[in-house]
Amino acid sequence: MSDAILSLRHVSASYGPVRALDDISIDVNEGEIVCLLGSNAAGKSTTLRTILGMTRANAGEIVFDGERIEGLTTPEIVSRGLTMVPENRRLFGKMSVKENLEIGANLRDDKAEIQEDIERVFSLFPRLKERIRQRAGTLSGGEQQMLAIGRALTARPKVLLLDEPSMGLAPILVEQVFETIQEINSQGTTIFVVEQNAHMALSIADRGYVLQTGSIVLEDTAANLLEHPKLSDAYLGEME
Amino acid sequence: MNLRSALKPGFVGGIVVVYLSAIGMVERFQDRNVITGLVGLGVVLMLVAFAITSYTAARKSDSSLLTGVAVGFISGAFVAIVTMGFEGLINAGLDVRGMFVSITPGLLETLEFGLNPVVGAFMMVVASTAVGAVSGVLVGLEYHLRSAVVFAIGITLLMSLGEPILRVTLGNLQIPTGWLYELGGLTIAGTIIVLALAFGLRWWWMSRADTRREAAAQMPEATRRTWGRASLMAAIVALVALPWIVGPFVSDVLGTVGLYVLLGLGLNIVVGYAGLLDLGYVAFFAVGAYAAAIFTSPASFLVTEEGQQFAEAGFTNLWVALPFVVIIAVVIGAAIGAPVLRLRGDYLAIVTLGFGEIIRTLVLSDWLSPYLGGAQGLTRVPAAPPSSFDLRNPQHIYYLILAFSLIAAYISYRLVDSRVGRAWAAMREDEDVAEAMGISVVRYKLLAFAMGAGVGSLGGVFFAAKIGSIFPNSFGLQVSINVLAVIILGGIGSIPGVIVGAAALVGLPELLREFGEFRLLIYGAILIAIMIFRPEGLLPNKRRQRELHEGQDLAAVDLTKEGPS
Ligand SMILES: Nc1ncnc2c1ncn2[C@@H]1O[C@H](COP(=O)(O)OP(=O)(O)O)[C@@H](O)[C@H]1O
Ligand SMILES: [Mg+2]
Repeated sequence: MSDAILSLRHVSASYGPVRALDDISIDVNEGEIVCLLGSNAAGKSTTLRTILGMTRANAGEIVFDGERIEGLTTPEIVSRGLTMVPENRRLFGKMSVKENLEIGANLRDDKAEIQEDIERVFSLFPRLKERIRQRAGTLSGGEQQMLAIGRALTARPKVLLLDEPSMGLAPILVEQVFETIQEINSQGTTIFVVEQNAHMALSIADRGYVLQTGSIVLEDTAANLLEHPKLSDAYLGEME
Repeated sequence: MNLRSALKPGFVGGIVVVYLSAIGMVERFQDRNVITGLVGLGVVLMLVAFAITSYTAARKSDSSLLTGVAVGFISGAFVAIVTMGFEGLINAGLDVRGMFVSITPGLLETLEFGLNPVVGAFMMVVASTAVGAVSGVLVGLEYHLRSAVVFAIGITLLMSLGEPILRVTLGNLQIPTGWLYELGGLTIAGTIIVLALAFGLRWWWMSRADTRREAAAQMPEATRRTWGRASLMAAIVALVALPWIVGPFVSDVLGTVGLYVLLGLGLNIVVGYAGLLDLGYVAFFAVGAYAAAIFTSPASFLVTEEGQQFAEAGFTNLWVALPFVVIIAVVIGAAIGAPVLRLRGDYLAIVTLGFGEIIRTLVLSDWLSPYLGGAQGLTRVPAAPPSSFDLRNPQHIYYLILAFSLIAAYISYRLVDSRVGRAWAAMREDEDVAEAMGISVVRYKLLAFAMGAGVGSLGGVFFAAKIGSIFPNSFGLQVSINVLAVIILGGIGSIPGVIVGAAALVGLPELLREFGEFRLLIYGAILIAIMIFRPEGLLPNKRRQRELHEGQDLAAVDLTKEGPS
């Protein structure tokens, strides 16, 4: 697809002798929400790490915004507009909420614009504003996930990568998080979200891919995937 | 109270005192007057040991007074029995000094308070029990009172120990000292006055704490800033006036302290801000010193190769050399940093340790001796012009070191709250995520390393200028360790901490010089005590304090008041 803002073409990656990704191709179009589903150890996080250059692809190409990025360093890739909300949030727990948000904007120079983006995050998550000087490590789980997303947003990404945003959250909070993701998307940010919680992810996504031990085994629109007989949260890992 | 619970601390106190006596410390210290004609430092040392053991035991007990008394009694009895034992052995004609070289008649006399052995032993028990009782009472006192008492005693001891400096200083200020000091110790009247003043001041200060806090809270931002500026200016004025008040000897010590402040500030950027454990910091100190010597000494190879044409003044003068030296150090810092900064934690520490040793080996080597002088070192490093500003004069070079320390402190201060400082903090906390957030970890590490190298080399330049000759053995591992100890003791990542750490670690031993070989023992003991009781350092950085006390204060912490420290 030519109008894809982010595409992986025949990408493989391995950790030493262990092959984690085997010839996967994924397209994310501008303005879409695309999800990548897979059970534990399927290679979802590795996919995101490879996109960001934290794990090197040993074959294939990654194109972002019309240019190949698989050879660039992580900071270069981030500065082009790709940011990740890492698995398990991984906040800077000893820093304040504000400092975490500023770290997200660390690559950027314009103070006024950064302030504007921080305000935007606060309008998205008013609870964070109340806790602006609190240590990130003392926030509740839901607030931490909000802050992790906020931290990624202050980098002004064109495409936001999310690694299992539902992990470890109560169902009600999961719903809130996904609503927020939808809202961020409606404000113009393309979303690529990795999930085990297939139902939740598909309910907001346009399209989805299913990853199984490093290979893409299914791809379709979200509506079709939801109907797919083999696909259910419980059996995602045992799919043929 | 349970007698058994007093037994162990009691014996510990006794054994400590016997140990300090048997190694000769008590006797040597006794030569120094604390209160002239009444108490010597040796006795104070014993009493302090009794007090500390009684106090710590009493604090854990329900009936503090009884515990204090019991611990004091047991300690004293132990010491008295051992003393009488030695006395008996000596009287029996046995040569105890074959084994215990430091058990001298003088020591026994001290331990018996100059009385006959039996009365002396009795006095020892009375004294230790009294100290124990006082410690026990102290535990029970209300906080303000206790704090004021301890403060008063501490200040009095410091005033007495600081006699060599203070008397000279007061003399320079034309203040008569006869009423206060006599024969190296405080006079009795002086002691009473100091005790009373210190107690009163502390009491007054604490009783006004609430009012002060309120006033500070209500003070408008502008006024507060003015106050802050004013106190900073006052501190700087005091620092500028200092060498003329304290005289040349103490100025020399201040210069050395200043050098360590500078080195500490540099290493603090590397270890405190960027979180890179560098055990080879001496390398940059050496680069600075040697580069400065090569540029400025008439004995340098640059001079001889130019056919003696610079023979009078060296290749160039110190001011011209200064920026080049720093640039060279920064380049070397970046060059050795680049390959090793991908290493983490312990590995980095070992590799930097290696670099420190390599530099020392290089400057010592025959191979480079035509350039670096080998074991002979480089001599005749001239002071910088103009000659009216004589860098060999401790009161002059002090200003140079002060100026650059202030600059380094200011830069460090501004860095903490900058984009760079935040990136370092993020890196320190989670390198992977920092990288994922787009922070170029290697670049920021390199920046820290290069900045540290630059500041460290400045220290080297002033070191060379200060003493005029440099030798390889001034650049050993000990320097790296001392600088690291300075910042750990003061509180990693804290600028005031570096200053306090340098004063304590470098200044204190200089002032303890008369105690010769015991200096390092005291120094070590103080270090261990501080690290046990204040692991975050003397003046910790607030964020670091949180890192160390992780989990103890999970309640929301308001970071509003936290400036970069
Ligand atoms: N740093 C690593 N070193 C070696 N193997 C790894 C590493 N990270 C992940 N793997 C392996 O790669 C595979 C995919 O892991 P991952 O991408 O984390 O899966 P997911 O995110 O889908 O749970 C797993 O088999 C995992 O054990
Ligand atoms: Mg994962």
